[in-house]
Amino acid sequence: MTISVPPSARQRTRLWPSGLVVPLGVTIPVASVLASFAVGLLLVVLMGAPLGQALSSFLDGAFGSSYAISVSLNRAAVYSLVGLGFIFANRANLTNVGAEGQIAVGGIAATAVALVPGIADLPLGLSFVVPTLAAMLAGAIWGGIAGVLKARIGTSEVISTLLLSFIAVWLVYWCVQSEHLLRQPMTSAATLPESLPIPETTQLPLVTGDYGAPANLGLPLAFFLAIAVAVVLGYSRFGFQLKAVGFNPLAARRAGFSTRQTIVVAFLVAGAFGGLAGAVMLLGDQYSLKAGFSSGYGYDGLVVGLLARGSTVGVIATALLFGFLRSGGISMEMGAGVPAALVLVIQGLIVVSVSGAAFWLDRRQPAKE
Amino acid sequence: MTTAMLAVFIGSSIRLAMPLLLAAVGELVSERAGVLNMSLEGMMLAGAFAGAVGSWSTGSPLLGLIIAIVAVGPVALIQAFLTVTLRANQIVSGLGLNILVLGSTTLGYRWIFGARSRETIPGFDRWSPPLLKDIPIFGDAVFTQVWLVFAVPFIILAIAAVLRFTVLGISVHAAGEDPGTLDRAGVSAVRIRYGVILFTGSMAALGGAFISIGDIHTFTEGMTNGAGYLAIAAVIFGNWTIWRSVIACLLFGTATALQFQLPAMGVHVPSAVLIMSPYVLAFLSVAGLAGRQTAPKALATPYWR
Repeated sequence: MTISVPPSARQRTRLWPSGLVVPLGVTIPVASVLASFAVGLLLVVLMGAPLGQALSSFLDGAFGSSYAISVSLNRAAVYSLVGLGFIFANRANLTNVGAEGQIAVGGIAATAVALVPGIADLPLGLSFVVPTLAAMLAGAIWGGIAGVLKARIGTSEVISTLLLSFIAVWLVYWCVQSEHLLRQPMTSAATLPESLPIPETTQLPLVTGDYGAPANLGLPLAFFLAIAVAVVLGYSRFGFQLKAVGFNPLAARRAGFSTRQTIVVAFLVAGAFGGLAGAVMLLGDQYSLKAGFSSGYGYDGLVVGLLARGSTVGVIATALLFGFLRSGGISMEMGAGVPAALVLVIQGLIVVSVSGAAFWLDRRQPAKE
Repeated sequence: MTTAMLAVFIGSSIRLAMPLLLAAVGELVSERAGVLNMSLEGMMLAGAFAGAVGSWSTGSPLLGLIIAIVAVGPVALIQAFLTVTLRANQIVSGLGLNILVLGSTTLGYRWIFGARSRETIPGFDRWSPPLLKDIPIFGDAVFTQVWLVFAVPFIILAIAAVLRFTVLGISVHAAGEDPGTLDRAGVSAVRIRYGVILFTGSMAALGGAFISIGDIHTFTEGMTNGAGYLAIAAVIFGNWTIWRSVIACLLFGTATALQFQLPAMGVHVPSAVLIMSPYVLAFLSVAGLAGRQTAPKALATPYWR
């Protein structure tokens, strides 16, 4: 079985009256985002909440203070990293729906390594770099398993990554439930099921250096990696190899590319991005492993990757949108009593409409394998 | 474990397996026709919600059940329109619908019942069949269930028979193996796929409603809590055959029941390990460690006429 998200759909362009050319691949996602927001506003009105108050508390939560902005940016960083990993593998026509699990194992590895005695005393920033690398390795292994299965016996990567996600999420629960693993020592019956806090030196540095505006290194890192991914996908031999394998595996094999190797590497990279996202969450924001810490981030990141339609700029833009959307939604619930679930409705509408719109974007029959 | 505890344990395993069974058998039919219906979770949640609201507003759980089936129809229609007519990626549209349903039901619940309400909703009464209930110890603990439980074996038997012995069943299989050939034989693959998605929707609605009005008698936000994904895992673990999928569901139900049973027996297995186990089993089977996997050839592939 194959999942066909044609990796680089023929992008048709539409001529606007002014002569400005906007690709349909941009118009449709933007239009569906706007339409979904309109439905969201309508729902706020229908539910009888004061629209002005809802909007102002939404904006407050998203942009109201340097703290709020920082939280939104940190969220956006995680979404960006997951989205970048998604479009990387998707270039080879692989659908990685396992970011949630890759984040989870990344978080476990980052915590475990950060808590190893001695790591906190490493010089030159290695105190936080080493746990980050461990998280990337863990994520890469988690993604790589799906890649190997796909390459060796043809297991659908959608099914394997999804199952691996569930397993990883419960691994986190196990880790914080059991004192033999990462749970903090039980001093009383009220000891929370979470890990010890990680040492301060293993925390990801804050851009501002101030806990009042806790924007961490995640987003600058994501920007840098976005450029790197754009270069690799657009200009390198490996980028071409991914595209060739995604487009027509048989032709790619004839051209001398190893499809198996390409699939495995694509998944190692996508998994490493997920692991990195987990490290950024743990070392840059959460500071201790808690059950369910990754909840929803992986799936949100997947949506970001889908909406971006293969573009790194699209990943960053969508990630920022969703980062602010989520933060605003949470504040709207507290400020105006509009359930944050409204954000889920908007997000769901965006995904559903964009997935349907692919019909007009990828109007071509997938190559028979 | 005393015999009485064993009986209670068997009873709760059966009860916990029911929503999985209903949803998984529906999903099996749709996957057999080539549609990997990832929105199963959303369909179950919509069913649980609509069933709860229906039963609460009419006062009749049976009407609630019917309302659940009707309410899931639109969700299934959207899924069918997206994946069959527009040939959208089945996974993506499914996950999108799940997010949408989670958001909508949460909003709807708060709207109707207000925040943090735990209102009890009229649900099905338990009942035990005449002869079985007289079995000592087991009779009461195992066989006192809501009537839907007793209907499930018959529903499954009927589906198995249709799949195995009728033209419709053969067409469903063909739509999942080679939709082009089915079309050339004069049966519309598009119609079959629409049909199976709507059918899966009804089964998922029954499964979801079973949770809200058959078992717990209330609705909570996101109450299906991954049961839809577990049902999909059961179909995979069942290697796309109905009987193995049924066994998988019973196994998964038992694993869930063990979470509550083991601590009572003083055995300390981390509950995470038990909750994880169905997914591990499903994973091992797709990893080829449990025999060869034979998924329908055209599974998750949009059909281009």
